[in-house]
Amino acid sequence: MTRLTGAVIALAFFTPLVFGILGSVIPAFGLMPQIAAGNGFAELFADPRFLPSIWLSLKTGIIATVIALLLTIATLVCAHGTRLWKFLIASLPPLLAVPHAALAVGLIFLIAPSGWLVRLISPGLSGWSRPPTDWVIPDSGGWSLILGLVIKETPFLLLTAAAQLSTIKVDAALRIGRTLGYAPARCWSRLILPLLYPRLRLTLLIVLAFNLSVVDVAILLGPGNPPTFSVFLLSLVNDPGSRSVASAGALLLALGVGLVYCCVFLIERVIASVAESRRESGHRGTAMKTFRTFGQSVIASIQIISIASLVLLLVWSFTHRWRFPHSLPTEWTLNHWNGRSAEFASPLLTTLGIAVVTLLLAIAAAVAWLECERRMRVPRIDWLWYVPLLIPQVTLLFGWQAIALLTGADGKWLTVVYSHWVYALPYVVLLLAVAWRELDPNWNNAAAVLGAGYWKVLFKVRIPLLIKPICQAAAVALAVSVAQYLPTLLLGAGRHQTLAIELVTSFSGVDRRIIATLAALQSLLPLLAFCAALWMPRMINRHAA
Amino acid sequence: MNLNLTQHFCALTMISTATLFSINASAQQIGQPWAETLEQAKGQTVYFNAWGGSDRINGYLSWAGKHLESEYGVTLEHVKIGDIAEVVSQLEAAKAVGRNKDGNVDLMWVNGENFANMKHNELTWGSFANTLPNAGLLQKSASITMDFSVPVEGLESPWGGAQLVFIYDSEVLETPPASAAELLEFVKADGRFAYPAPPVFHGTTMVKQLLHELTDDKTALTKPVDQVDFDTVTAPLWSYLDELHPHLWGKGKSWPASAENTRQMVDDGELDIALSFNPNEASAAVRNGQLPDSTRTYTFTEGTIGNTHFVTIPFNAKAKAGAMVVANFFISAEAQARKANPEYWGDPTVLDISLLDDEAKAQFASIDLGPWALPIGSGKTLPEPHASWAEALEQAWLKRYSN
Repeated sequence: MTRLTGAVIALAFFTPLVFGILGSVIPAFGLMPQIAAGNGFAELFADPRFLPSIWLSLKTGIIATVIALLLTIATLVCAHGTRLWKFLIASLPPLLAVPHAALAVGLIFLIAPSGWLVRLISPGLSGWSRPPTDWVIPDSGGWSLILGLVIKETPFLLLTAAAQLSTIKVDAALRIGRTLGYAPARCWSRLILPLLYPRLRLTLLIVLAFNLSVVDVAILLGPGNPPTFSVFLLSLVNDPGSRSVASAGALLLALGVGLVYCCVFLIERVIASVAESRRESGHRGTAMKTFRTFGQSVIASIQIISIASLVLLLVWSFTHRWRFPHSLPTEWTLNHWNGRSAEFASPLLTTLGIAVVTLLLAIAAAVAWLECERRMRVPRIDWLWYVPLLIPQVTLLFGWQAIALLTGADGKWLTVVYSHWVYALPYVVLLLAVAWRELDPNWNNAAAVLGAGYWKVLFKVRIPLLIKPICQAAAVALAVSVAQYLPTLLLGAGRHQTLAIELVTSFSGVDRRIIATLAALQSLLPLLAFCAALWMPRMINRHAA
Repeated sequence: MNLNLTQHFCALTMISTATLFSINASAQQIGQPWAETLEQAKGQTVYFNAWGGSDRINGYLSWAGKHLESEYGVTLEHVKIGDIAEVVSQLEAAKAVGRNKDGNVDLMWVNGENFANMKHNELTWGSFANTLPNAGLLQKSASITMDFSVPVEGLESPWGGAQLVFIYDSEVLETPPASAAELLEFVKADGRFAYPAPPVFHGTTMVKQLLHELTDDKTALTKPVDQVDFDTVTAPLWSYLDELHPHLWGKGKSWPASAENTRQMVDDGELDIALSFNPNEASAAVRNGQLPDSTRTYTFTEGTIGNTHFVTIPFNAKAKAGAMVVANFFISAEAQARKANPEYWGDPTVLDISLLDDEAKAQFASIDLGPWALPIGSGKTLPEPHASWAEALEQAWLKRYSN
């Protein structure tokens, strides 16, 4: 692997980021009159939806992130080392792979006034013969959106934290803390969290950026009038003549997210200084069993909500008739899977085609980069890979779309794959990097002594030894690609109807049973990929042996 | 850096304008013999951009696609979109950068303000519609020659009719409200009602419906909105909505996502009345297991807003001949009879049935709407306001009710 390979990969990855920003900046100031007339800012500020939608985005994004973080910490403190913890670690990765939109759809079917929860207790327990009118989904306050984000982002934070625990020798820290007489919760807050938080910070910022700017989940679960700021901007970019306004908004969104990051750093400082003075106080605290039980039941309910939402998608996909207040469908059918297989085949194949090429390109690029890095041909730039995940997707995508419109690249299959690759590569590189760097160099040396050249060592020794993490990274890449809504929508010019696009665009109109089938299908793809990632290394190794 | 980039864009624009001059010699012309059009269409793929929010419409289009493939060798690709305004916006951008051929869209489903916008900005290809062989079978009605008070002039070809109707479950409601005033009383007495928030199309139509009923100056609605006193004409509407909204599902703060959503909510019992722009929708929904057998459809006593929807070919379409073949097939007796059948779609036809041959007449006569659809002959149609009203009403509505 030469220095040139590394340069090509870095260029392919970072050029779109630069162009994405420029493609939003230039039209916002009216400097791209071909596709965006006028200065967007004045018109944006005058729109009656501007302030309410910003407020809504800030509220939902920040509250969802804070709750997800608190839940993560509570789970660590209350559940670490228990049987629940083992269950969580095993059950979180597949749930994490389920696309946000599919889970959001299941959640709506669960918690609406005519949803499954109410159906289960009606009319017997609740006395409701018709759905209650006390709440509506989606609600105007954005709480259903917050719930949807929390159940999807908490597992992400929790898994990142779990992966970091081994690097900070958590068991030893707990033992020392206990020996010194600290209550378990105090061991965490005094000894472990100060070490863990810095390793969690980047993931927290990614979650924050996502929650503040997500589009698909906000279309499904967020209030419609005003919608969240990103959804509002998406409606503008689609509106004839409003691109400059949308671009101005996309810039403000990026700035806003940046400001929130600054607030996070400030709050960190305050908490750190308070925590330090409290550490010095030496209070040991007392164990609180009720707190532990409470923490465990909260995280368990979140898991149950996610799983129930997924099960509900499957139930609706086999439903012919299911009216309120029946607890289960009164008439079942195989028709949605059977009779419509031809209609679903096309979006399924489109989704798979894009996802498979994306994952192959992402794995190839990541392996090439890590090899360059191992041989000191390129520097380690771990945090730079996070950049596309830290900039709101709306901001980058509006820019890419503007450039694609100008160059005629919009609607091309490769353009869509390229955008998916940019979003999949960070996860693949960062997942593979750990295993790549840990692999004992003696394997290489032994093979080299036996006369194997560089390529032979790479393909016959390193890659087979690392096949497990490679398969896992491939499954993650596939999950990322299958879930991409905005890149496919804005760059695909409607030509590439993936499951994600079908699901979100048809959600409000199409038959609930069809929507459930689509969402179930979209969830099954990454779940199957995760199973394959567990099974394939064994098969490959058996053949090799 | 910025300067370089701008230069780069300028160069790109010049390249794309340059391609403008390499005109294809065998390009489709309006008015050429139909046999030539059929010949050129063979093997073409027509990208038809149309709202994809209804699986029955999607199913109808996949039937049409199979038929077009076998009979004319034309491949129909249904590009499903949420709002056709997105496509108008893409075309505007393409026009601005001079991409005058090989565009992404060959045929699109439009009417009203989007058509007015396209016509004004010259985004349509030309006056092709009257040259289609089946154009002679069309009804001679005002809503086919004037689209929301804007002259059509052959720039778009009619596809179907539509009228705002209300759907309810007769086991829950005995006598549904049949006017704006009754609707207000109904929600005040805990009746369950809501409409989608404008600019969602059906929400805007509901607002137009209420305006038509409540305003003192109905003739103002046929004029462009900048030629009338908007505030005076709409004042009764706003005071009505101010009173109505607190009693709606969602208390005027949450809104159903779409008309189809209101239909689902009637089935769930969250709402008592659903909106639809298709008088036969309930008929299809009952057969499909989406509404109870006791479902009925009605309009307000004084009538409801109705219009015609069209298909048009954009200026830069790649497969123009193929698009014309599709547009012509859409107004064939066979395609229209299937479209009018609620088992498949249930969209009212634009053909004048008296002009058809006996076989086609029998096809239309055999359509069974059942007791669920709007009874034929009931429900007066009110004209759409001029196309400029939609945007003005949407903006005014958003200003007042965006919390």
